[in-house]
Amino acid sequence: MSGRAGHALSLQGLSKRYGSFVAVQDASLEVGSGRFLTLLGPSGSGKTTILMMIAGFVEPSEGRVLLDGRDITAVPPERREFGMVFQGYALFPHMTVAENVAFPLRVRRLGRAERDARVRATLDLVQLDQFADRRPSQLSGGQQQRVALARALVFDPALLLLDEPLSALDKKLRAELQDELKALHRRVGRTFINVTHDQEEALSLSDEIAILNAGRLVQVGAPSALYERPATRFVAGFLGRSNFVEGEAERDAGGIVLRRGGTRVLGVGEAPPGPALLSLRPEKITVLAEGEGEENVVEGRIAAWSYLGAGYAITVATADLGELKVHLPAWRIPLVPAEGMPVRLGWPRGAAVAVAEDPA
Amino acid sequence: MGGHRPGWLSAWVSWATVLYLLLPITIILPVSLTDQRFLSLPYEALSLQHYARLLTTPAWTDAIGQSALIASASTLVAVVLGTACAIGCWRLSRRSTELVRALMLLPIIIPSIAYAVGLYRYFARLGLLDSFTGVVVAHGVTGIPYVVITVSTALAAFDPRLESAARGMGATLAQTLRWVILPRIMPGIVSGAIFAFIHSWDELVVVLFIASRRVFTLPRKIWDGINENLDPAMAAVAVLLVGMTVLLLLLDLALRRQRAD
Repeated sequence: MSGRAGHALSLQGLSKRYGSFVAVQDASLEVGSGRFLTLLGPSGSGKTTILMMIAGFVEPSEGRVLLDGRDITAVPPERREFGMVFQGYALFPHMTVAENVAFPLRVRRLGRAERDARVRATLDLVQLDQFADRRPSQLSGGQQQRVALARALVFDPALLLLDEPLSALDKKLRAELQDELKALHRRVGRTFINVTHDQEEALSLSDEIAILNAGRLVQVGAPSALYERPATRFVAGFLGRSNFVEGEAERDAGGIVLRRGGTRVLGVGEAPPGPALLSLRPEKITVLAEGEGEENVVEGRIAAWSYLGAGYAITVATADLGELKVHLPAWRIPLVPAEGMPVRLGWPRGAAVAVAEDPA
Repeated sequence: MGGHRPGWLSAWVSWATVLYLLLPITIILPVSLTDQRFLSLPYEALSLQHYARLLTTPAWTDAIGQSALIASASTLVAVVLGTACAIGCWRLSRRSTELVRALMLLPIIIPSIAYAVGLYRYFARLGLLDSFTGVVVAHGVTGIPYVVITVSTALAAFDPRLESAARGMGATLAQTLRWVILPRIMPGIVSGAIFAFIHSWDELVVVLFIASRRVFTLPRKIWDGINENLDPAMAAVAVLLVGMTVLLLLLDLALRRQRAD
């Protein structure tokens, strides 16, 4: 499985229109060699269309696809040498596991001895060597997924493309295979491009996430960067949960100050003076004990609460900021929540991030 | 499967229909076993003499051989052309291909007598009358619809992602066809082949028009026999014809069942 290192991919102004419907609008993206990039978005956001344009199955209306600087926009999919794991895996039902994995090598007319050796090595890699002679229909969903991975990796592809590779699996198995996929990426050192609508999967797997909404790339960056500093309301709401506070912004030395009614909220980030929006993660707000202080303090009453085992989810009604959702680990909460109970909420300045409204 | 039990009236009508359909076929069985030397029901005993004569008379064995050869050759023609057409229509999948598929069914829709008259005029000019090739071409072309129907049905159930997957792994169109598409639709092709074979095996009208002395298929031999003398061997032949057809249909059924498992 060694030899070539990963390859770098670059998308330049890719668009795809179907009649008057715009599936993808002017997407530009750089994927470094050996990186794990996830295209994340709700259904209909254009993420699969972008993947299909990378794979060559969909012809872009505009823009170019470059592999290591070489324009491959016009190269048909069978000549791109990309491995791909399809949604639902698309294993050949009439072939055994070994025959499925051997298919890309058979297509390349590799000698039998080398073909067998590489199939065995790749099945080892995904821990399926015991199942070489089974048919796909005799395997579990997770095993089928690994066959699809082996088949996509066996011919040393320049890139590995994954179209919702875990969506057909149940939640527990999905978490397990997430870890496996991540380990596999480390071992083979190839460039992986993954498509998903599952934000947890994207956060845990990726070196980089590209968030899409309505055919546009909204923000690209490392998972923690996107989570901590979302650029728009959509990113903040799609990647994790968020409270939003609207108000009038002013600059100050530490970032911005947002005024809403009689309350001032200190936040970080940039916003032009005028109407602005802050994103505030529920887990970054704490319930303050008697006499405790914070950079931002707001009073309110508990409107609703639920116990989640590891912690509490509390909704607090405030006078100026509306309802705020708060997630607290059980050991951090200084009181036993009850509806109507007055509480003081606090959060550090860095927890409130200025985000832009999304273009309509 | 749940559902209502049929009422006595519909059960009765169903059985009457089955009998009505089967009786004319079943009558030939006792007739073929007659001990007489003319077409009749057995008088005193059952006899296999007509079967024995069938398999020892060169005129009959020749006809059986010719029919089998023509049916095999025309099945090959029908399978190759019908499969190619069905796959082509499926891949292009435009409104025009729907029209092509409908056109391919014409040989079934048009009365075979009209078809035969047309073929007669056309083949006369091409010098294909009364030739093995001519009958194979005619039966092959009229067998295409069966293959187009069964292969199109098989293709409708084919997962197009398998084709994308094959291409994505570097397979050319020919490789994809040979290793992915054809194996997946093989049951449909075999079904089509069986029907095309049966079609040629018992086809009479076209043969009557385009063959005279040199080409003598089994159905035509029976036809001539009926007109010339009432030889009970014809009933034996008819039983063979029906037997062969039933056998092939059972084979088709068995293959379908195996596929369903």
